[in-house]
Amino acid sequence: MTHAFDAIRLQVMWSRLISVADEIATTLERTAFSLIVRDNQDYACALYDARGTMLAQSSQCTPGQAGSTPTVIREMLDTYPAETLEDGDILICNDPWVGAGHAPDVFVATPIFHRGRLAGFACTCAHHADMGGRLGATDAREVYEEGVIIPVSKLWRAGERNDELYRLLARNVRMSEKVLGDISAQIAANRVGAKGIVALMEDFGLEQLEDLATQICDATEGMFRKALSRLPLGEAHSEVFHEITDDKGARLKIAVTLQVREGAVHLDFTGTSAQVAMPINAVLNITRAYSVFPFIATLCPDLPMNAGAFRPVVLSVPEGTVLNPTFPAPGMYRSLLSYFTVEALMGAIYQVAPELAMAPSGTYPLWTEKFSGTGPDGREFLSHYNAQGGQGAFRDRDGNSAVVFPGNIATTSVELFELEAPFRVVSRELRPDTGGAGKFRGGLGQETVMECLNDTPVQVAFSGGRLVEPAMGREGALPGAAGVIQIRDDAPFARSGRGVMEKGDLCRFAQPGGGGFGDPAERDAALIARDLRLGYVTPEGAARDYGVQVEEDGQISRPLAAE
Amino acid sequence: MKDMPLSEYRIGCDIGGSFTDFILYEVATGRIETLKVATTPEAPEDGLMQGIDALAARHPGLSEGLKVLIHGTTLVINAILERKGAKTALLTNKGFRDIIETRREIRYDIYDIRQEYPKPIVERDLRLGVAGRMAPDGAEVTPVDPAEVAEVLEDLKLKGIESVSICFLNAYANPAHERQVAAVAAAQGIDLSLSLSSDVLPEIREFERFTTTTLNAYVKPKVDRYLAGVESALAERGHGVPLYLMQSGGGVITAGTARQAPVRLAESGPVGGVLAARNLARLAGHPDAIAFDMGGTTAKTCLIRRGEMPITRAYEVDRVHRFRRGSGTPLAVPTVDLIEIGAGGGSIAHVDDLGRLKVGPESAVADPGPACFGRGGLLPTVTDANLVLGYLDPAEFAAGGITLDRKAAEDAIVREVADKLGLTVLEAAAAILEIVNENMSQAARIYAAENAGDLTRTAMVAFGGGGPLHAMEIARKLKVPKIIVPEAAGVFSALGFLMAEPSYEVARSYPRRLDELDEAALAEVYGDLQAQAGAIIAASAPGAPQRFSLFADLRYIGQGHQLRVPLEDLGRGAIAEAFRTAYLEAYGYVYDDMQVEIVTLRVEAMAETQGPGFTPLPADQAETRRRKVWDQSQGAMVDTRILRFAALAPGAPEVIAGPAILIQPGATIHIGTGAEARRNAAGWLEITTGARA
Repeated sequence: MTHAFDAIRLQVMWSRLISVADEIATTLERTAFSLIVRDNQDYACALYDARGTMLAQSSQCTPGQAGSTPTVIREMLDTYPAETLEDGDILICNDPWVGAGHAPDVFVATPIFHRGRLAGFACTCAHHADMGGRLGATDAREVYEEGVIIPVSKLWRAGERNDELYRLLARNVRMSEKVLGDISAQIAANRVGAKGIVALMEDFGLEQLEDLATQICDATEGMFRKALSRLPLGEAHSEVFHEITDDKGARLKIAVTLQVREGAVHLDFTGTSAQVAMPINAVLNITRAYSVFPFIATLCPDLPMNAGAFRPVVLSVPEGTVLNPTFPAPGMYRSLLSYFTVEALMGAIYQVAPELAMAPSGTYPLWTEKFSGTGPDGREFLSHYNAQGGQGAFRDRDGNSAVVFPGNIATTSVELFELEAPFRVVSRELRPDTGGAGKFRGGLGQETVMECLNDTPVQVAFSGGRLVEPAMGREGALPGAAGVIQIRDDAPFARSGRGVMEKGDLCRFAQPGGGGFGDPAERDAALIARDLRLGYVTPEGAARDYGVQVEEDGQISRPLAAE
Repeated sequence: MKDMPLSEYRIGCDIGGSFTDFILYEVATGRIETLKVATTPEAPEDGLMQGIDALAARHPGLSEGLKVLIHGTTLVINAILERKGAKTALLTNKGFRDIIETRREIRYDIYDIRQEYPKPIVERDLRLGVAGRMAPDGAEVTPVDPAEVAEVLEDLKLKGIESVSICFLNAYANPAHERQVAAVAAAQGIDLSLSLSSDVLPEIREFERFTTTTLNAYVKPKVDRYLAGVESALAERGHGVPLYLMQSGGGVITAGTARQAPVRLAESGPVGGVLAARNLARLAGHPDAIAFDMGGTTAKTCLIRRGEMPITRAYEVDRVHRFRRGSGTPLAVPTVDLIEIGAGGGSIAHVDDLGRLKVGPESAVADPGPACFGRGGLLPTVTDANLVLGYLDPAEFAAGGITLDRKAAEDAIVREVADKLGLTVLEAAAAILEIVNENMSQAARIYAAENAGDLTRTAMVAFGGGGPLHAMEIARKLKVPKIIVPEAAGVFSALGFLMAEPSYEVARSYPRRLDELDEAALAEVYGDLQAQAGAIIAASAPGAPQRFSLFADLRYIGQGHQLRVPLEDLGRGAIAEAFRTAYLEAYGYVYDDMQVEIVTLRVEAMAETQGPGFTPLPADQAETRRRKVWDQSQGAMVDTRILRFAALAPGAPEVIAGPAILIQPGATIHIGTGAEARRNAAGWLEITTGARA
């Protein structure tokens, strides 16, 4: 039986759902072991009705994972139909095709029972410190190399721990204490969510969540459609060529045709490169996440997320491509490619509504560096260092420098890193002249230099990009600077890869700058003067990129317009 | 007024943006007097002295009888928010000048791609790197070059810099380089105000330590001048009284200490209410309590556990979005951990583009005020909804000189809410309250999850103008079984100010595994910290008995969030057990196979002094009226008893069954249907909400 909720009551229940999802996230962050969860906040939490329809998602979450949350419970229900679930069950899965595209993202879902009946699910996805496999397999050719895959399974059965699965996991992952600790943290966080849902149902006298789900998902869908209707109807085609090449030496391509219809957009990725035997393939869930993201971000960033948010964006992604690969394509480093889905879509949005689009960003791809070995105390260490480039500019403002986008993970503290890893960070600063010059400047990249202090060799896996192809500018603006990854005085990396560092060796990561927007000659002189004063732009850079002379007193002069 | 020459007095004052508030407490009688004078922003000490002069004029024995002057100030926070601090530079290791600008890189709103961040307190051209580097174990890697430092400091002085923030990497492990910089300045006679990160916040994580130290540097000269001015003005007038400053963490310190660490004063405003709530809850036998204060613009909630105020270091100032965490600049000094949301009497209700009813955070509080104030406000506020639903009565406000216009409130609600949503005016007003109460209870629930608290086992202490009115519905939403409303709920926060004791917390990062801990070395570090904090407290309260609380921030190895665990025994086993207990209480489970590590050691020193207590005011004439008031559970206006709070005798056996409204000067208490209230012998009101967990 369907109840008709009045609008206010609906609104209150809806905001309560979001707040319960945030409670889950808060608990997860407070109890997690993995630095990636607790410091970098690489997780997503969501609530569902008994059918697996997503009701709400935590305000803090990683957009990539957020793309798999709408479907993951339904996939779990395919394996364990609702009638087979019992109170005290806990489900787990890290299958890249069910979840978020690589093994470290582990989903733990807790069926919620209310008055003896399955009411819904609380689910957390957390990026774990390790899931086994070859460490830093930046050259993996198959998913088997990238860690243990747990298909949808029961981690607990009716309150009984599935010891076989725990033992299997513990035997297959590094630092199993931490990994199992994080799974416990996910379970505890889900418990908080289950409690919140039961309290909500009791407070509002709900027998089930399905009617509520239908109403709020329809409402979100309606809001999103209304926002999409601000885009002019029409079609645009956008292509991005990635600097990584396939086996035949051709640059990987993301091609998308955007059709703006009344309150909907259709995205057809026909023309996108075939999947590759490199760990950068992005499963459909990830592609969905980054296809929906640009529209929400440019049109309605306050949209409350639930299953309804994924309806107005209709996707067609040919199977067997890098954006919809089939098993067993590897995908550990999918962010190297998937962020460029956002670039391709920003390119399409630019064609229909240029004022909304961000210029190509130096924040694509994500940069994450790994260091592992045996430390001076004889213990194994595995440390991460994250730092990101500069955002692209907009038609009316500069891009932010050194910020993560479109993913959302925090940078590494130098002091924490030095405490954990036998390395010294020699310097870490913004890179002048790296923001693409334009009427509005791209954000600056940054540079870190570090020295190895370890007596024994350290294995490194360095992952970053735009090492060859910088972020281009729009409307006459210049590109941002390309990135650099280098060990010692060796030739800089042409793409992400591995290496060995010994005591005294230096390495360097220079993240790229964002593309500019508009003709540099039109940039406000006061902004150029400010950039010079603050050292974002050097006098040489100003002369070269903006065509201005810097006088002794710091004043700038601009030759008469040449055109 | 009777002249009592032997009277002792305590004065609290709080300098706000518009008004400087005074509260005078007469120890012998327990009598409280309040006074408001206009703040004098250019020279705040003038307004302060005007107020003290006015109080002295009314109390001839004040100068001799004044024992304590406790001062809270928004001077620090306003200097930061309005960017009116000193001309400040940042000195750091070469190659690290952008730490305060690149922040944590994370975006505080995942979908907002046009995000903005607060402007760094020191711009890039005034952030300078010099030679010198420490390792995380405190070993020197590269020495500081005194000649280079001297040259840089001289140059800054020539540029007109007044204050320098000195922030070196790993200075939490070894402060030698930072101190060397200070020594160079002293030796060369370079007159600059200096703030060392190893003094201000000797804790790991460079971004938070650098921003906190830089904020300290930014406000230090201004606070220094101001406090010097106040001290000399007090001395000129013959008030030989110690001047105490309220810290964000709840204790008071002397002006001398405050001049060195002014950032510790940044968030002193809400402390009074929390302190008073804690003391009242303790007295009422509720070591676990939730303080709930609602004013004109915001509501604040704070979870008190085991009779202690929660302290956080994750405090931020200068947020781009006031209620959005992560959008500000970290100020990581001990701060009372409370959650503030944009929900007060003046919060404006509106229907957004998507047809949702929103209340706040925009507020009409002072100008133009709620529609019913008749000062030109046309937008409906929470106060308007309360008026329409009968919770507030124009007659009660008339006594305070405010005329409430019910018609204006109704018109605003009809125009902005009811018509747009197809509701009656009563439904719309009830919807406004439902939304604002839900917002507050959700914020409280998330905050409780962060602090691992169980609200269903607490009592709510409700105060402020709107606290006692909204407490009923919020407590029920949170399943809090009991509400306590103090006498004089409207000035409760000010009273709390006078209850502060001298206290000071010092900390040192001490990262190591518990199983590798050298107990003797640990005892030595705690000894040092105790001596350091004790000396500061001795200056505040010479001769007063001192208490020390030892804490360690502990976690399982590899976790990122640590628990602040009180320690009584410094043995390894005892520390592990204390952590186990705390973790179990916080999260409901423990790991028996995991090792524990220490992150930071802390010592809080307190001096025991006698503050004001709670003295019941006598009952006066009973008078009962009735009017129609909205009943949320029935969804209708119901006939409701209206009583004056003062009409209930302290300790009287009489039980007031809801629905009822009790009136205090400046506050209205709502007792819902099914709830029961009675006035305690000590004066406060206890309400059982009827909520079950």
